[in-house]
Amino acid sequence: MPEIILEDPDGTFAMLRDSVAAFAQRFDGARALRARRGAGKDIDRDIWSAMAEAGWLGLMLPEDLGGAGLGLSEQAILSEALGRALITEPLAQLSVFSGALLAGAEPGEERSRLAEGLISGSLVVSPVWQTTDGGYAAVSATENETGVTLSGTAGLVVAAVSADVLLVLARSGDDRMLVSVAAGSEGITVMERPTVDGATLAELRFDGCHVAADQILARNLLGSGLLDEAIQAARLTLAAELAGAGSKALEATVDYTKERVQFGKPIASFQAIQHRLVDMWSAAEFSCAAIVNALERLADEPGKPAALAVLAAKARAGDAAIDITRKAIHLHGAMGFTDECDIGLYMKRAVNLNATLGNPAQLRLQFVALERAA
Amino acid sequence: MAKQQDWNSLSDAEFRQIFRTWVDDNCPMHLRNMRKQRPVFDEVAEWYHALAEKGWLSPVWPQEYGGMGLNAAKHIIYVEEWARLGCPRIPDHGIGLVGPLLIEFGTEAQKAHYLPRILSGEDVWCQGYSEPGAGSDLASLRTAAVRDGDSFIVNGQKIWTTLAHCANWILLLTRTSRDEKVKQKGITVLLVDLTSPGVTVRPIENLRQEADFCEVFFENVRIPAENLVGEVDKGWNLAKAVLGHERIFLGAPSRPEVALSRLEQLAEARGAFADPAFVDRYARLRLDLYDLGSAFERFARQLRDNGTLGADVSVLKIFCSELYQKITEETLDIAGEEARFLDDLPAGNGHVDAMNLYLDSRALAIFGGSNEIQRTILAKAVLGLPS
Ligand SMILES: Cc1cc2nc3c(=O)[nH]c(=O)nc-3n(C[C@H](O)[C@H](O)[C@H](O)COP(=O)(O)OP(=O)(O)OC[C@H]3O[C@@H](n4cnc5c(N)ncnc54)[C@H](O)[C@@H]3O)c2cc1C
Repeated sequence: MPEIILEDPDGTFAMLRDSVAAFAQRFDGARALRARRGAGKDIDRDIWSAMAEAGWLGLMLPEDLGGAGLGLSEQAILSEALGRALITEPLAQLSVFSGALLAGAEPGEERSRLAEGLISGSLVVSPVWQTTDGGYAAVSATENETGVTLSGTAGLVVAAVSADVLLVLARSGDDRMLVSVAAGSEGITVMERPTVDGATLAELRFDGCHVAADQILARNLLGSGLLDEAIQAARLTLAAELAGAGSKALEATVDYTKERVQFGKPIASFQAIQHRLVDMWSAAEFSCAAIVNALERLADEPGKPAALAVLAAKARAGDAAIDITRKAIHLHGAMGFTDECDIGLYMKRAVNLNATLGNPAQLRLQFVALERAA
Repeated sequence: MAKQQDWNSLSDAEFRQIFRTWVDDNCPMHLRNMRKQRPVFDEVAEWYHALAEKGWLSPVWPQEYGGMGLNAAKHIIYVEEWARLGCPRIPDHGIGLVGPLLIEFGTEAQKAHYLPRILSGEDVWCQGYSEPGAGSDLASLRTAAVRDGDSFIVNGQKIWTTLAHCANWILLLTRTSRDEKVKQKGITVLLVDLTSPGVTVRPIENLRQEADFCEVFFENVRIPAENLVGEVDKGWNLAKAVLGHERIFLGAPSRPEVALSRLEQLAEARGAFADPAFVDRYARLRLDLYDLGSAFERFARQLRDNGTLGADVSVLKIFCSELYQKITEETLDIAGEEARFLDDLPAGNGHVDAMNLYLDSRALAIFGGSNEIQRTILAKAVLGLPS
């Protein structure tokens, strides 16, 4: 089945895939998702710790911060494999995005503490930076003698209840600063809502939440390129996870339709079904090709060509996973319309990932606007 | 129950007016526009009993059996107004399936016994056709009924039986003999009390995590021979015959209509109508719905004029189910980042159940003959394509 094909001279990629396969033996993704959903939890802290032990949370963090210092290619291979195994803890936000912000923050004690905690899994570091419709959060930081006071709201926060630390992107003047806020600090209200894939997202309200000056991790973020880089890395991670989920949903459907007999034959022998399966396979192939292209552009042509390639890859992988999983449900018949059959969980996971950090329609418009910009 | 008038002698407009007024006055507001597609009996019992008391529970049964005796044209109005007023679906297998079957093929004793119990809500029926190995290929069903004196002994399993967990009777298609060439032969219809020893019902959660269908297991269940409908081995045609004009309702515009109104509500709340790209996509969906109305009317007219439908009515169900999906997909698209939420999305003064409808829209393309099966019917019966 389609997968991200990269040269693997020292076997790192194969090793990553193997380690996810072994992990999935210990933590069945679908079962974990149902358990988390049943418990109404935002993340599963045991699985999160195991992911830390596997060395996945600090994969891209630089070695001087205690990370593995690997790149987006390794991250993509890892996330693709996690997508296949339906291991749905929010790596893109809590490791890749938070990690990129910390890597770009000013050196200091707080940064080191957070990086260390993030990598070891002892601290869940949730980024707080968006509104519910995906814009920049309307949280403002007012500076005073001892630090800053935060007011305003943010949405789409993952792991808001499990979080130990909130990485808040706050407006200060015309620019943005990054502040580390202990979760549960006075002046923060959390309102959780369930997501379709059995987790939660929260809206956070800050009412004069005070933060000491040494918790300010970075200033003047708007022009720095740091946010764009973090978003790009997270988008590519999401694209890889979508590609993995799509490819696995295709595989499961090929297997099912080969097994399922109606009218005396496997239903996969009917041409109408074969053509659908081929369309699904082609969508999965294109996703993987788009992701490889983005990885190559990032390595060889950073800047606009890479930015375009990442937009295209997330849009393609999102569309593909959505299309594949919808067809997969249909081809499973009534079985696909049950909660017991994992194929529906793949569909729900794809819906979440596809909507995160821009859906295909939005990303395509961004692509065209960027490409045509002088 | 008061003696009913001859509804069919009214003009369509008159009937529509009378029906709508009473339903609007009597269907409890808290049951309107339910999120759940298939509420269980207890959730909608007051509406069921209100209809029964009025004599309006069974639109097509002849009046002598306690129905309204509506012809197809009036029945369509009944269904349309029901949907327009947002009335909840009631457990309706007794009304839509078992009643017509017994009225056409049942014995006098069966009619006298079962029909009043459906009207009173004492018996709630479900439809036991599909099996683990017999879905699209229904005729390959294997649940066995073996004659034993004045009983049948039933062994086997049904699945996807909607609302079996709130029903006390099941209309069962069983296998009584096997003809290697024609699988449709040797199928027998039995009326089975679900409280009989040896019956086990296990609810299955659907994609929306609601238990609205079930597995039903039969282990040496003894069924009195008088519960046979029609003749042994000749049940297939009975099962087919009662589908009759009801097939048109699988393609009725009500589902996409509801979905489009939700899309409009969300689009208005989010300012999407200011986006020409959205308006373009919306316009296509809007006209698809509009044209589904025209196509529905084309078949409704045929039904009014001839009293029957051909195989070509399948086209409605395909178009309708696919449109329903496209609309719910567009609703998630304009929800943007919020498309991830399971609960309803705030929109203006109310909420839009975007995910609820999105998930629900997966089912209509599967049940009632999947869209592939419908296309195969059209290919063979309408276009006459070779095998
Ligand atoms: C919500 C819901 C409620 C239901 N309620 C009831 C009920 O109350 N009572 C009852 O008896 N049944 C019920 N059913 C079952 C329904 O009738 C079956 O799901 C349907 O007949 C399809 O069978 P299957 O699910 O076994 O799918 P399969 O027949 O296994 O089909 C799987 C896939 O293969 C495709 N396929 C099959 N054959 C062909 C072919 N020859 N050519 C091309 N494609 C093909 C199908 O379109 C489908 O996409 C319900 C189903 C659903 C989803």
